[in-house]
Amino acid sequence: RAHSNPFSDHQLDYPISPDQMDWFRLYPHYYDETKKEMTQKVTIADIGCGFGGLLIKLSPSFPQDLILGMEIRVQVTNYVEDRIIALRNNHVKKNGYQNINVIRGNAMKFLPNFFEKGQLSKLFFCFPDPHFKQRKHKARIITDTLLSEYAYVLKEGGIIYTITDVKDLHEWMVKHLESHPLFERLSKEWESTDKCVEIMTNSTEEGQKVERKRGDKYIACFKRLPIPEII
Amino acid sequence: MTITHPIQTILSRSDGKLFFIVVKNMILALKTTDNKNYSICGKWVDDLDRTPFLKQNVLKEQARQIAANEEAGISKKIKKNDGASSPASIIKKEAKVPVPGSGAPQIYLQIRNLALSRDETKLYACTDSDKAIVVFKIDLTTNENCLELVKRQPYPKRPNAITSTLDSKSIVMADKFGDVYDMPLEGDVVDNVEELNPILGHVSMLTNVLASQDSNGKNYIITSDRDEHIKISHYPQTFIVNKWLFGHEEFVSSLVIPDYKTNLLFSAGGDHSIFSWDWEKGTLLDKFEYSQTIKPYLTDRHLAPERFQNETNDSIEYAVVNITTFKNLPYLAFFVEATPLLIILKVQNDGKLSFFQDIKMSNNIISLSSVYTTKNIPTFAVTLDATEQAGMPTLVELAEFDEANSRFIISKDVCGPLNNFIIDTLKDDKIAQVEKSSIFPLYTVINLKKHGEHYS
Repeated sequence: RAHSNPFSDHQLDYPISPDQMDWFRLYPHYYDETKKEMTQKVTIADIGCGFGGLLIKLSPSFPQDLILGMEIRVQVTNYVEDRIIALRNNHVKKNGYQNINVIRGNAMKFLPNFFEKGQLSKLFFCFPDPHFKQRKHKARIITDTLLSEYAYVLKEGGIIYTITDVKDLHEWMVKHLESHPLFERLSKEWESTDKCVEIMTNSTEEGQKVERKRGDKYIACFKRLPIPEII
Repeated sequence: MTITHPIQTILSRSDGKLFFIVVKNMILALKTTDNKNYSICGKWVDDLDRTPFLKQNVLKEQARQIAANEEAGISKKIKKNDGASSPASIIKKEAKVPVPGSGAPQIYLQIRNLALSRDETKLYACTDSDKAIVVFKIDLTTNENCLELVKRQPYPKRPNAITSTLDSKSIVMADKFGDVYDMPLEGDVVDNVEELNPILGHVSMLTNVLASQDSNGKNYIITSDRDEHIKISHYPQTFIVNKWLFGHEEFVSSLVIPDYKTNLLFSAGGDHSIFSWDWEKGTLLDKFEYSQTIKPYLTDRHLAPERFQNETNDSIEYAVVNITTFKNLPYLAFFVEATPLLIILKVQNDGKLSFFQDIKMSNNIISLSSVYTTKNIPTFAVTLDATEQAGMPTLVELAEFDEANSRFIISKDVCGPLNNFIIDTLKDDKIAQVEKSSIFPLYTVINLKKHGEHYS
């Protein structure tokens, strides 16, 4: 199914707090046996990662980063898991695709259960559910109140990437991100030189579908600003 | 035969001379000078007719549908008797307000979240009828009604908790939909509720909200939700999240910061422990497990709903409804829903919690608050579910601190006159006298428990 209700009580697995998260299970290659701890933390998250196209393209481009996809639909998550296992098996000699993985989760509710303050450097929202109906706008992944939580898990200078083929949703996301005191839009020039923008535009399954239908793709990227002086 | 409706809340001013109680959709103010003789000095009933609101919503929805259809190029067709159809561009019928059928669940319109402003000059409450915050000025110079309604601001979703900001200039409200609003006491009512913008939010039902200040004088809003979260945001810069307090594994229903040590925070809900935090540092100081204390008081009422029952049909579910502290006495009290037991813990200087005392009330506890009597003795006040009690009901009980013996004792000399006065006042009151079947649901907190029933 294409949609999932972000408000309902799904049977979800999430840690009580970020330090309770078992990252070893997802990234066993980045575990120090002697110190009994992870050598790396997740720094890039793809919220609503769908079929995992973006993760797979980002993996070789960011070999120093751990990249996590979050997806609320069970079957889609299972598919991405299988896909990553297969890729890892096929690239076992070079330890390929060890830095990406996926979890089933509701990012709108539980993002802070996974990530500490300022842990992430990039946060992707690619082709999110548009929730066309006015009264369902709170279900959108970008809202004023949720942006404050995204700002919390992003480090200063971290980037939110958004892309959609729905103009109305694009305008909604831009309006809310621009009016949030902790985000500032990045220029078109910046977009044209950023490799993630290029990957995001062409690699996701949704993006390719839009391509086939010759639809438009609207992109907007935002930088997380420093926390102002507390009054 | 009718009975007296239980009291949902009781509050007092700190001089012990003014009490407020809520019965259904009515607030009563009780005046006393000695805690022996009382008189009614104020009354407010929320008798708002919801029909115009429903009508407004129905018309709005109709207008929206018409606009949506027009936009989509669909005009409503009217079928004729000969089978042909003709387009009808104008809908002549006026939308009707739906009337619930005989099997529809009862609608309860009660007053919730009664609170005094920090300077005790105003009384705040929330209404179910129009989902509003109502503000009263308490004016005791008048001989008539001391409750003067000064503001009534409706909101789009039902308020679940309110708190006064430290400067007493605003009320911060947390709603059922997960949004938090900041309502200034001054200023006009916003007629179109859709123009109201939340200052922060959760994607979860909010259960409580507090306003507090840290040792550097910075202000914060602390919110709790059904998804185990306690979030601390800066105020007024609510777009900056300061931290989360992680540790709850079930919904959080109650939050309290004691006045005598404002870096402490106690929280509880569906977990079987009371949590003690240093919220400024973000550290958990202690967890007091109460499951053994409450075990003898759990009944069939605490059995899990049938569809979530285990194979041996003995799965029980219970939750803390409320925790209360005093201004300057290091004890906290709490109770578990649908039990008669008031449990009192001692709070050590380092935030550690230890069992102090429990008191079995004559009936199940509905609400708990800390009040003061004219003797200036810290007192825990409970309101009780006397709906099964024969004869004179006990609606309120007070447990005051007996300094000589260092124990809390049921204070008969204060409690008796107060209880008698309330019973006497309510016995002929049309609002308070109800059929047993129309009493408000008194045990609703456990419904916050998640069972993860959606496997999608």
